[in-house]
Amino acid sequence: MTRFRPSSLFVPVLTFAGYVFLFAPLVILVAYSFNSGRSTVVWTGFSLDWYAQVFSDRGLQASIKVSAIVASISALLSTVIGTSAALAVVKRKFPAKNLFSTVLIAPLVLPEIVLAVGLLVATVWSGVTLGYSTLVAGHTLVSAPFTFLIVRAAAAGLDPRLDEAAADLGANSRQIFMRVTLPLLAPAILSAVLLSLVISFDNFVMSTFVSGVGTTPLPIQIYAMLKTGLTPKINALGTILIGVNVLAILLVLGRYLKTVR
Amino acid sequence: MSQRAYSLTTLAMLAPSLIMAVLLLAIPLFIVVAYSFAGRDAYGAVVTGFSLDSYRELFQATYLPIFLNSLRLALASTAISVLLGYPIAYFIVFRAGRYATLLLALLLIPFWVDFMIRMSSWMVLLGRNGTLNGLLTGVGIVDEPIRMIGTYPAVLVGMLYAFLPTTVLPIYASLNSIDRRLIEAANDLGASPLEAFWRVTFPLSLPGVMAAILFVFVPAMGVYAIPVLLGGGKSIILGNLIVQLFLEFRNIPLGAAVSVVMLVLSSVVIIFYMRLLSRVEAARA
Repeated sequence: MTRFRPSSLFVPVLTFAGYVFLFAPLVILVAYSFNSGRSTVVWTGFSLDWYAQVFSDRGLQASIKVSAIVASISALLSTVIGTSAALAVVKRKFPAKNLFSTVLIAPLVLPEIVLAVGLLVATVWSGVTLGYSTLVAGHTLVSAPFTFLIVRAAAAGLDPRLDEAAADLGANSRQIFMRVTLPLLAPAILSAVLLSLVISFDNFVMSTFVSGVGTTPLPIQIYAMLKTGLTPKINALGTILIGVNVLAILLVLGRYLKTVR
Repeated sequence: MSQRAYSLTTLAMLAPSLIMAVLLLAIPLFIVVAYSFAGRDAYGAVVTGFSLDSYRELFQATYLPIFLNSLRLALASTAISVLLGYPIAYFIVFRAGRYATLLLALLLIPFWVDFMIRMSSWMVLLGRNGTLNGLLTGVGIVDEPIRMIGTYPAVLVGMLYAFLPTTVLPIYASLNSIDRRLIEAANDLGASPLEAFWRVTFPLSLPGVMAAILFVFVPAMGVYAIPVLLGGGKSIILGNLIVQLFLEFRNIPLGAAVSVVMLVLSSVVIIFYMRLLSRVEAARA
């Protein structure tokens, strides 16, 4: 194996530097969220004050609620859309299948800001009020390609003989779907749900254009806070969000490890 | 199942995504294109019709620097991300051994952490009273804190931070699918490690590199929060321009025209990517 090295130290050193680059900011953010002072340089003692401030901030509470509502609905919608489209592409015959797949993946490769502008303009044109409905629509559009790709990959890996075996044993198509296909796809569908939740919670560009008065999602709220100045309160909030994300990753990876075993 | 029932079920499965594609993608993009040719009345309302005024205004000298800025920033971010992302992906595939899964899982953490939180962590690091300045003055390398927020390098750091994991993942996937026996064969045939890398490993990883370029370049063109937060909002790029035109100036036709230009630019990149990809795959077959 050692013979494959293009050089002996170049690659490991760069990799190490890359990981330091990726994690140093997060580590410092987490560390200073427990600092009692306002400073992000001088350590003045351990305190949970900033966390208390996060939990008593009305604006943050409101935006977390908005994000939670929008994320749940859009994750549900994008998972339904992505899963049914993926199953159709993998298991069904229909015309223009490639075109259909391309159109579904398009929101992933087109600039999000242009999709957002499109939704804003269409909203104004149709007279719909900006708010929950437009946020849900935007977030669903952004996350559906991901759920489609995840479930399509999993469905393509399923052995078609399982369906045939179930049919030979007398199962009708509904029973095959409910008792064979769906359970086998469950881990992928769960990953799709989690990924959509995270994408929606994290969405900034689309949300800038389609959120309305009184429906400010969390990233927009944080952006507004950051523009007026950095406080350790954001560090505390960030630490909570990092914790939730790590938990979500463990859930997804844990599922995958289980299916491998 | 009858043919008719089969078709109906298929249609039912396709319906949700078709409705989404038409309602949230096709119609909105059509309206954007239509509005980019529309005019504006004295109160800022859109007057439908056909004029090239918005495009004429856009291609005046005022907006040229914004296009060049965006292009420069997107190109620089893409180049730096790929140059650092490639060795990392290479290390995970060929050198990390049993730690490969761990390194890959670690990569997902900054990838999944809320974008705004990632940016605020850099504001903590780079601020005038930030960690880096504290470190530099503490050690005595500099006497005065250096101004980092508000500079072009700070914006580049933010871009790299936002897009590095996005580049590592596709390059990792393409490196990981290379048949290792091909590299062994190159070595057996007397190729030096560097030669084996350039003539076997690297060409085979090109689809991943191209995907990485696509997934950084297109969003990098539309970024607007990073230049505001880390660049002090001075370097105006296409993303900022679109936000300003739509949300501050309420100039929908001009904003739509900028969006159409951006759509065309990224479509060119995507088509170029697909052409190149099919050529690479044809060469391999």
